[in-house]
Amino acid sequence: MIRRFVRQKFGSAGLVVALAVLGFVQLLGLAARGAAAGFSVANWAILVIAAGSVSRDVSSGALQMILSRPIRRTHYLFGRYLGILLSYGLFLLATSVLAFLFVHLIVLRTAHGAAADYSTAALAVGAGQAFLSGALQAAILLLFSTFLPGIADLLGLLLVYLVLNLPQFSQVPWLRTAGQRAGENMLPPVEWAGVLRGHGVLGAATGRWVFALTVYLALAAIVFSRRELPYGQD
Amino acid sequence: MRALDGVSLEVARGETLGLIGPNGAGKTTLLTCLLGFLQPDQGSITVGGLAPDDLAIRSRTGYLPERLGFDRELPGRAFLAHHWRLAGGDPRRASAEVEAAAERVGLEREALKRRLRSYSRGMLQRIGLAQALLRDPDLLFLDEPASGTDPRGVALVRERILEAKRRGATIVLNSHQLPEVEKVCDRIVFLSEGRLTKTESLRGETASRRRGLVRVPPSHLVEAAALLSSEAFATDAKPDGTLRFAVASDEEMARAVRALALAGIPVYEAKASAELEELFAEKRDE
Repeated sequence: MIRRFVRQKFGSAGLVVALAVLGFVQLLGLAARGAAAGFSVANWAILVIAAGSVSRDVSSGALQMILSRPIRRTHYLFGRYLGILLSYGLFLLATSVLAFLFVHLIVLRTAHGAAADYSTAALAVGAGQAFLSGALQAAILLLFSTFLPGIADLLGLLLVYLVLNLPQFSQVPWLRTAGQRAGENMLPPVEWAGVLRGHGVLGAATGRWVFALTVYLALAAIVFSRRELPYGQD
Repeated sequence: MRALDGVSLEVARGETLGLIGPNGAGKTTLLTCLLGFLQPDQGSITVGGLAPDDLAIRSRTGYLPERLGFDRELPGRAFLAHHWRLAGGDPRRASAEVEAAAERVGLEREALKRRLRSYSRGMLQRIGLAQALLRDPDLLFLDEPASGTDPRGVALVRERILEAKRRGATIVLNSHQLPEVEKVCDRIVFLSEGRLTKTESLRGETASRRRGLVRVPPSHLVEAAALLSSEAFATDAKPDGTLRFAVASDEEMARAVRALALAGIPVYEAKASAELEELFAEKRDE
């Protein structure tokens, strides 16, 4: 399942081009501002990779063919999730390696950017940070993809962000507090740079992140296991 | 909308059942229910005493959907190898099994190297059938298996179905190609607006309806009709020399042909069939 997902994604020319563009922009960003600035552009890649991960198989009928085999639905679903993570990991790795080579072979030989941190450790932390943030977004997209058609899962994720962020613009205190609490639990902000350096690994924020991830994946498994899969028309 | 209503059906082990009905009758929906992808609001479906989505059943199932849905970027070989592994096949034997499966459906080795998106409709049907037949499943669910194939492809699909039947597979076939259904099925069920309206046995003692057809020179038509009537066949004669009559068995059909031959009447064509097209038209008109 994992291999199929990776093959499916990287077999699509459009997707590879989109990832290449994102990777290139990220490369320029890293070269200009250093690894400490993070992989903000690369974060978009998780949306490109994870969108429609289940729904496309449903609409094409491929899922029905796969599930007519002795495969558990959860096996398929988590295979997709791991495939997303592996694809994203490969993308981040490729971007990091290229950034490292680009910076060390070109940028550091010039006077520009010498002040920024281009160390391997900084790149690794930046990539790790992007990976862990992406893992949660991927879980939400996966959940939406189990019941929404096409790439409507992206709209679902957008809606989650909107619903959680709108209350902070409200003048009503309790609404702002509720929004803040919901955001902390549904999209827990974690200081991954510190966690990856060993600070607060077992902190409340990390715990909330693990809990949220588990809930999204469990919900995805429940929804997907109960989903009916009609096929074609007579 | 009620896609299926009050359908009650039993398929015996080793039986080949044909689903017949107009478009929108619920045939594909019924197949989807039998595969466990849709749950009925009432009643239950069991396959060999187990739920249709039980993995023990799945490991014995082969399924060919009407439209082959898969990653069109995959080469044919990778597609079949993937299904071989999904079906629980030994990955070390995948290459040999894939080639054997392709050969059985008349796909050349070169075609296996090509991506599925470059396949014609007929080729997609063939590779779809090859994947359904991987690991010789005991249960086969085929939805329009010969759709879009050329006459050679139609014959090949028929041969593969008959082959599966000979090794004892239970087959549920949905097809609009009535002559093909008649050639391979033991029994057919008619579906109309989600209801099971009629069941017909096509083989054995319980075969409920067979029609004999002989074609003689029009100049011998009256003589042939009189002869068959004297042999207790109620004939319906057409000016083109065609005579139709009810026959209970193939032996009875042979008796009719023998009588004509002994009387020196040339027989240009003779066959006994269930005449599904006629039955289909009857059911549609009801």
